[in-house]
Amino acid sequence: MTLRLQPVRVATGFEEEGMLVFDNEQRLVAVLTHLSDQYDAASGHWFVEAGFGRLGGKDHPTFADLQTAQTWLARTLAQGR
Amino acid sequence: MRNPGRKNLAPDCNLLIRKLESIFTLSDGERQALLSLPAQATALKENQDIVREGDSPSRSCVIVSGFACSYKVTGQGKRQIQGFYIAGDIPDLQSLHLRVLDNSVGTITPCRVWFIPHEALRDICDRYPRIGTAFWRKSLIDAAVFREWMTSIGQREAYSRIAHLLCELMVRLRAVGLAEGHSFDLPITQAEFGDALGLSAVHVNRIFQALRADGLIETKSARVNIPDWEKLKQAGDFDPTYLHLEQEQAAA
Repeated sequence: MTLRLQPVRVATGFEEEGMLVFDNEQRLVAVLTHLSDQYDAASGHWFVEAGFGRLGGKDHPTFADLQTAQTWLARTLAQGR
Repeated sequence: MRNPGRKNLAPDCNLLIRKLESIFTLSDGERQALLSLPAQATALKENQDIVREGDSPSRSCVIVSGFACSYKVTGQGKRQIQGFYIAGDIPDLQSLHLRVLDNSVGTITPCRVWFIPHEALRDICDRYPRIGTAFWRKSLIDAAVFREWMTSIGQREAYSRIAHLLCELMVRLRAVGLAEGHSFDLPITQAEFGDALGLSAVHVNRIFQALRADGLIETKSARVNIPDWEKLKQAGDFDPTYLHLEQEQAAA
Protein backbone atom coordinates (compact mmCIF):
# COMPACT_ATOMS: atom_id res chain seq x y z
CA MET A 1 0.00 0.00 0.00
CA THR A 2 1.30 3.45 -0.89
CA LEU A 3 0.75 6.10 1.72
CA ARG A 4 0.72 9.81 1.03
CA LEU A 5 2.06 12.23 3.62
CA GLN A 6 1.02 15.83 4.09
CA PRO A 7 2.91 18.05 6.53
CA VAL A 8 0.78 19.58 9.26
CA ARG A 9 1.18 21.34 12.58
CA VAL A 10 -0.35 19.39 15.44
CA ALA A 11 -1.92 21.23 18.38
CA THR A 12 -0.37 19.10 21.09
CA GLY A 13 0.35 22.21 23.14
CA PHE A 14 4.06 22.00 22.31
CA GLU A 15 4.34 23.44 18.78
CA GLU A 16 4.99 20.12 17.16
CA GLU A 17 5.05 19.32 13.48
CA GLY A 18 3.56 16.22 12.04
CA MET A 19 2.10 14.46 9.04
CA LEU A 20 -1.38 13.59 7.92
CA VAL A 21 -1.23 10.11 6.43
CA PHE A 22 -3.59 9.14 3.57
CA ASP A 23 -4.07 5.72 1.98
CA ASN A 24 -4.16 5.16 -1.80
CA GLU A 25 -7.83 6.10 -1.87
CA GLN A 26 -7.03 9.45 -0.23
CA ARG A 27 -8.65 8.51 3.07
CA LEU A 28 -7.09 9.92 6.23
CA VAL A 29 -5.73 6.93 8.16
CA ALA A 30 -3.42 8.46 10.76
CA VAL A 31 -1.82 11.58 12.19
CA LEU A 32 1.88 11.35 13.02
CA THR A 33 3.62 13.78 15.36
CA HIS A 34 7.35 14.48 15.21
CA LEU A 35 8.14 14.58 18.92
CA SER A 36 9.93 17.68 20.17
CA ASP A 37 12.86 17.60 22.57
CA GLN A 38 10.95 17.17 25.84
CA TYR A 39 10.50 13.39 25.74
CA ASP A 40 13.94 12.11 26.75
CA ALA A 41 14.65 8.96 24.76
CA ALA A 42 11.62 9.40 22.49
CA SER A 43 12.51 12.96 21.37
CA GLY A 44 12.80 13.20 17.61
CA HIS A 45 10.76 10.05 17.13
CA TRP A 46 7.49 9.81 15.22
CA PHE A 47 4.42 9.17 17.32
CA VAL A 48 1.12 7.78 16.07
CA GLU A 49 -1.01 10.59 17.52
CA ALA A 50 -4.26 9.28 16.10
CA GLY A 51 -5.32 6.42 13.91
CA PHE A 52 -8.58 5.66 12.17
CA GLY A 53 -10.32 2.43 11.28
CA ARG A 54 -7.82 -0.40 11.54
CA LEU A 55 -5.37 2.02 13.16
CA GLY A 56 -7.87 3.19 15.78
CA GLY A 57 -7.92 2.15 19.40
CA LYS A 58 -5.41 2.58 22.10
CA ASP A 59 -2.16 1.69 20.40
CA HIS A 60 0.10 4.72 20.04
CA PRO A 61 3.55 3.44 19.15
CA THR A 62 6.56 5.65 18.43
CA PHE A 63 9.10 5.05 15.70
CA ALA A 64 12.69 6.24 15.38
CA ASP A 65 12.14 7.56 11.85
CA LEU A 66 9.39 8.37 9.40
CA GLN A 67 10.14 5.44 7.10
CA THR A 68 9.74 2.90 9.90
CA ALA A 69 6.48 4.56 10.92
CA GLN A 70 5.15 4.34 7.37
CA THR A 71 6.15 0.69 7.06
CA TRP A 72 4.29 -0.12 10.27
CA LEU A 73 1.21 1.84 9.21
CA ALA A 74 1.11 0.15 5.80
CA ARG A 75 1.56 -3.29 7.30
CA THR A 76 -1.12 -2.73 9.96
CA LEU A 77 -3.56 -1.43 7.34
CA ALA A 78 -2.83 -4.43 5.09
CA GLN A 79 -3.61 -6.81 7.95
CA GLY A 80 -7.06 -5.30 8.19
CA ARG A 81 -8.09 -6.35 4.70
CA MET B 1 7.98 -21.16 69.16
CA ARG B 2 10.97 -20.16 67.05
CA ASN B 3 11.27 -21.22 63.51
CA PRO B 4 14.86 -21.15 62.28
CA GLY B 5 15.45 -18.87 59.33
CA ARG B 6 12.33 -16.94 60.08
CA LYS B 7 11.86 -13.80 62.05
CA ASN B 8 8.73 -12.18 63.16
CA LEU B 9 7.43 -8.84 62.03
CA ALA B 10 8.24 -6.96 65.21
CA PRO B 11 11.91 -6.04 64.87
CA ASP B 12 11.67 -4.46 61.48
CA CYS B 13 8.55 -2.44 61.54
CA ASN B 14 4.89 -2.47 62.15
CA LEU B 15 3.88 -1.12 58.81
CA LEU B 16 1.29 -3.80 58.28
CA ILE B 17 -0.30 -2.73 61.55
CA ARG B 18 -0.11 0.90 60.60
CA LYS B 19 -1.76 0.09 57.31
CA LEU B 20 -4.51 -2.00 58.92
CA GLU B 21 -5.06 0.64 61.58
CA SER B 22 -5.56 3.25 58.89
CA ILE B 23 -8.74 1.34 58.00
CA PHE B 24 -9.59 -0.61 61.18
CA THR B 25 -9.13 -0.20 64.92
CA LEU B 26 -7.09 -3.01 66.47
CA SER B 27 -6.87 -4.05 70.12
CA ASP B 28 -3.51 -4.46 71.90
CA GLY B 29 -3.86 -8.25 71.75
CA GLU B 30 -4.55 -8.20 68.03
CA ARG B 31 -1.60 -5.89 67.45
CA GLN B 32 0.70 -8.24 69.40
CA ALA B 33 -0.58 -11.25 67.46
CA LEU B 34 0.19 -9.49 64.18
CA LEU B 35 3.67 -8.56 65.41
CA SER B 36 4.39 -12.20 66.21
CA LEU B 37 3.48 -13.44 62.73
CA PRO B 38 6.34 -15.47 61.28
CA ALA B 39 7.81 -13.80 58.24
CA GLN B 40 10.69 -14.26 55.88
CA ALA B 41 12.41 -11.05 54.89
CA THR B 42 13.54 -10.77 51.29
CA ALA B 43 15.21 -7.95 49.38
CA LEU B 44 14.17 -7.70 45.75
CA LYS B 45 15.62 -5.73 42.88
CA GLU B 46 13.59 -3.38 40.71
CA ASN B 47 11.33 -4.82 37.99
CA GLN B 48 11.33 -8.26 39.54
CA ASP B 49 8.27 -10.47 39.81
CA ILE B 50 7.15 -11.37 43.33
CA VAL B 51 4.41 -13.74 42.18
CA ARG B 52 3.20 -14.55 38.69
CA GLU B 53 -0.17 -15.21 37.12
CA GLY B 54 -0.87 -18.94 37.35
CA ASP B 55 1.15 -19.40 40.56
CA SER B 56 -0.39 -21.12 43.59
CA PRO B 57 1.61 -19.55 46.40
CA SER B 58 1.62 -20.83 49.97
CA ARG B 59 2.44 -17.39 51.37
CA SER B 60 1.48 -13.76 50.90
CA CYS B 61 3.81 -10.79 50.85
CA VAL B 62 3.81 -7.55 52.77
CA ILE B 63 5.64 -4.66 51.13
CA VAL B 64 8.02 -3.18 53.71
CA SER B 65 9.70 -0.59 51.51
CA GLY B 66 9.70 0.42 47.87
CA PHE B 67 7.00 0.46 45.23
CA ALA B 68 5.38 -2.56 43.59
CA CYS B 69 2.50 -3.10 41.21
CA SER B 70 0.04 -5.76 40.18
CA TYR B 71 -0.37 -6.32 36.48
CA LYS B 72 -1.60 -8.52 33.72
CA VAL B 73 -0.23 -8.93 30.20
CA THR B 74 -2.70 -9.27 27.33
CA GLY B 75 -2.43 -11.82 24.54
CA GLN B 76 -0.93 -9.01 22.42
CA GLY B 77 1.80 -8.48 24.99
CA LYS B 78 0.50 -5.24 26.47
CA ARG B 79 0.79 -4.69 30.18
CA GLN B 80 -2.06 -3.32 32.24
CA ILE B 81 -0.92 -2.17 35.68
CA GLN B 82 -3.86 -2.78 38.00
CA GLY B 83 -2.61 -1.15 41.16
CA PHE B 84 0.41 0.35 42.86
CA TYR B 85 1.53 -0.99 46.25
CA ILE B 86 3.52 0.71 48.95
CA ALA B 87 4.76 -0.07 52.45
CA GLY B 88 2.20 -1.97 54.50
CA ASP B 89 0.26 -3.29 51.51
CA ILE B 90 -0.34 -7.00 50.92
CA PRO B 91 -0.76 -7.13 47.14
CA ASP B 92 -1.45 -10.87 46.95
CA LEU B 93 -3.58 -11.40 50.03
CA GLN B 94 -6.23 -12.95 47.77
CA SER B 95 -4.00 -16.00 47.30
CA LEU B 96 -4.96 -16.92 50.87
CA HIS B 97 -8.37 -17.93 49.55
CA LEU B 98 -8.02 -18.12 45.76
CA ARG B 99 -5.94 -21.12 44.76
CA VAL B 100 -4.52 -19.79 41.49
CA LEU B 101 -3.34 -16.20 41.00
CA ASP B 102 -5.05 -14.45 38.10
CA ASN B 103 -2.53 -11.60 37.97
CA SER B 104 1.12 -10.96 38.69
CA VAL B 105 2.81 -8.73 41.25
CA GLY B 106 6.21 -7.23 40.57
CA THR B 107 8.50 -4.60 42.01
CA ILE B 108 8.89 -1.18 40.42
CA THR B 109 11.79 -0.07 42.61
CA PRO B 110 14.01 -2.24 44.81
CA CYS B 111 11.72 -3.52 47.55
CA ARG B 112 12.00 -5.18 50.89
CA VAL B 113 9.16 -7.62 51.41
CA TRP B 114 8.07 -10.01 54.10
CA PHE B 115 6.58 -13.34 53.11
CA ILE B 116 4.04 -14.63 55.61
CA PRO B 117 2.95 -18.28 55.30
CA HIS B 118 -0.73 -18.75 54.57
CA GLU B 119 -0.86 -21.24 57.41
CA ALA B 120 0.09 -18.50 59.87
CA LEU B 121 -2.42 -16.07 58.35
CA ARG B 122 -5.20 -18.67 58.59
CA ASP B 123 -4.23 -19.40 62.15
CA ILE B 124 -4.26 -15.74 63.22
CA CYS B 125 -7.67 -15.26 61.57
CA ASP B 126 -9.03 -18.29 63.47
CA ARG B 127 -7.65 -17.08 66.78
CA TYR B 128 -8.52 -13.41 66.25
CA PRO B 129 -11.71 -13.18 64.18
CA ARG B 130 -11.47 -9.38 64.15
CA ILE B 131 -8.15 -9.66 62.27
CA GLY B 132 -10.02 -11.75 59.71
CA THR B 133 -12.54 -8.93 59.56
CA ALA B 134 -9.74 -6.38 59.10
CA PHE B 135 -8.37 -8.40 56.16
CA TRP B 136 -11.87 -8.64 54.74
CA ARG B 137 -12.29 -4.90 55.07
CA LYS B 138 -8.93 -4.39 53.37
CA SER B 139 -10.05 -6.64 50.49
CA LEU B 140 -13.30 -4.71 50.15
CA ILE B 141 -11.35 -1.46 50.00
CA ASP B 142 -9.10 -2.97 47.31
CA ALA B 143 -12.30 -3.64 45.36
CA ALA B 144 -13.38 -0.01 45.91
CA VAL B 145 -10.02 1.13 44.51
CA PHE B 146 -10.52 -1.08 41.44
CA ARG B 147 -13.98 0.45 40.93
CA GLU B 148 -12.48 3.92 41.12
CA TRP B 149 -9.72 3.01 38.65
CA MET B 150 -12.32 1.58 36.28
CA THR B 151 -14.23 4.85 36.44
CA SER B 152 -11.05 6.84 35.78
CA ILE B 153 -9.79 4.71 32.91
CA GLY B 154 -13.19 4.49 31.27
CA GLN B 155 -14.56 7.97 31.79
CA ARG B 156 -12.07 10.57 33.04
CA GLU B 157 -10.03 12.69 30.68
CA ALA B 158 -6.34 11.88 30.62
CA TYR B 159 -5.49 15.05 32.57
CA SER B 160 -7.93 14.21 35.39
CA ARG B 161 -6.91 10.57 35.32
CA ILE B 162 -3.32 11.46 36.16
CA ALA B 163 -4.32 14.11 38.69
CA HIS B 164 -6.63 11.57 40.33
CA LEU B 165 -3.91 8.93 40.62
CA LEU B 166 -1.50 11.50 42.08
CA CYS B 167 -4.14 12.36 44.71
CA GLU B 168 -4.68 8.69 45.52
CA LEU B 169 -0.99 8.02 45.93
CA MET B 170 -0.58 11.12 48.09
CA VAL B 171 -3.34 10.04 50.48
CA ARG B 172 -2.15 6.43 50.64
CA LEU B 173 1.49 7.40 51.20
CA ARG B 174 0.43 9.84 53.88
CA ALA B 175 -1.64 7.17 55.65
CA VAL B 176 1.55 5.17 56.25
CA GLY B 177 3.71 8.18 57.04
CA LEU B 178 5.50 8.39 53.70
CA ALA B 179 4.47 11.91 52.79
CA GLU B 180 5.61 15.13 54.42
CA GLY B 181 2.92 17.72 54.08
CA HIS B 182 2.00 17.33 50.45
CA SER B 183 5.44 16.12 49.32
CA PHE B 184 6.39 12.56 48.61
CA ASP B 185 8.80 10.37 46.67
CA LEU B 186 7.22 8.95 43.56
CA PRO B 187 9.55 6.60 41.70
CA ILE B 188 6.92 5.57 39.14
CA THR B 189 8.02 6.18 35.54
CA GLN B 190 5.86 7.87 32.92
CA ALA B 191 5.66 4.56 31.02
CA GLU B 192 4.34 2.90 34.19
CA PHE B 193 1.76 5.65 34.65
CA GLY B 194 0.76 5.01 31.05
CA ASP B 195 0.42 1.26 31.59
CA ALA B 196 -1.72 1.93 34.66
CA LEU B 197 -4.01 4.51 33.06
CA GLY B 198 -4.30 3.30 29.48
CA LEU B 199 -2.25 6.19 28.10
CA SER B 200 0.85 6.28 25.95
CA ALA B 201 4.10 7.42 27.57
CA VAL B 202 3.99 10.42 25.20
CA HIS B 203 0.58 11.49 26.50
CA VAL B 204 1.71 11.02 30.10
CA ASN B 205 4.76 13.17 29.41
CA ARG B 206 2.61 15.98 27.97
CA ILE B 207 0.15 15.84 30.84
CA PHE B 208 2.89 16.03 33.46
CA GLN B 209 4.23 19.10 31.67
CA ALA B 210 0.74 20.61 31.66
CA LEU B 211 0.23 19.83 35.37
CA ARG B 212 3.53 21.57 36.12
CA ALA B 213 2.67 24.53 33.91
CA ASP B 214 -0.73 24.83 35.62
CA GLY B 215 0.98 24.92 39.03
CA LEU B 216 -0.67 21.69 40.22
CA ILE B 217 2.55 19.80 40.84
CA GLU B 218 6.22 20.57 41.32
CA THR B 219 8.74 17.85 40.61
CA LYS B 220 12.40 17.44 41.37
CA SER B 221 13.73 14.06 40.20
CA ALA B 222 11.45 11.54 41.93
CA ARG B 223 10.11 14.03 44.48
CA VAL B 224 6.63 15.42 43.92
CA ASN B 225 5.19 18.40 45.75
CA ILE B 226 1.57 19.44 45.53
CA PRO B 227 1.45 23.20 46.15
CA ASP B 228 -2.34 23.46 46.09
CA TRP B 229 -4.00 20.25 47.27
CA GLU B 230 -7.56 21.50 46.77
CA LYS B 231 -6.81 22.49 43.20
CA LEU B 232 -5.28 19.10 42.37
CA LYS B 233 -8.24 17.30 43.96
CA GLN B 234 -10.56 19.37 41.83
CA ALA B 235 -8.55 18.69 38.67
CA GLY B 236 -8.60 14.98 39.45
CA ASP B 237 -12.27 14.85 40.44
CA PHE B 238 -10.88 13.19 43.57
CA ASP B 239 -13.02 12.24 46.55
CA PRO B 240 -11.07 10.07 49.04
CA THR B 241 -14.19 8.30 50.34
CA TYR B 242 -13.36 5.16 48.31
CA LEU B 243 -10.13 4.69 50.30
CA HIS B 244 -12.25 4.34 53.49
CA LEU B 245 -9.54 5.61 55.81
CA GLU B 246 -10.50 5.68 59.47
CA GLN B 247 -8.57 8.77 60.36
CA GLU B 248 -8.57 12.35 59.26
CA GLN B 249 -5.82 11.51 56.77
CA ALA B 250 -8.54 11.05 54.21
CA ALA B 251 -9.13 14.76 54.25
CA ALA B 252 -5.36 15.34 54.00
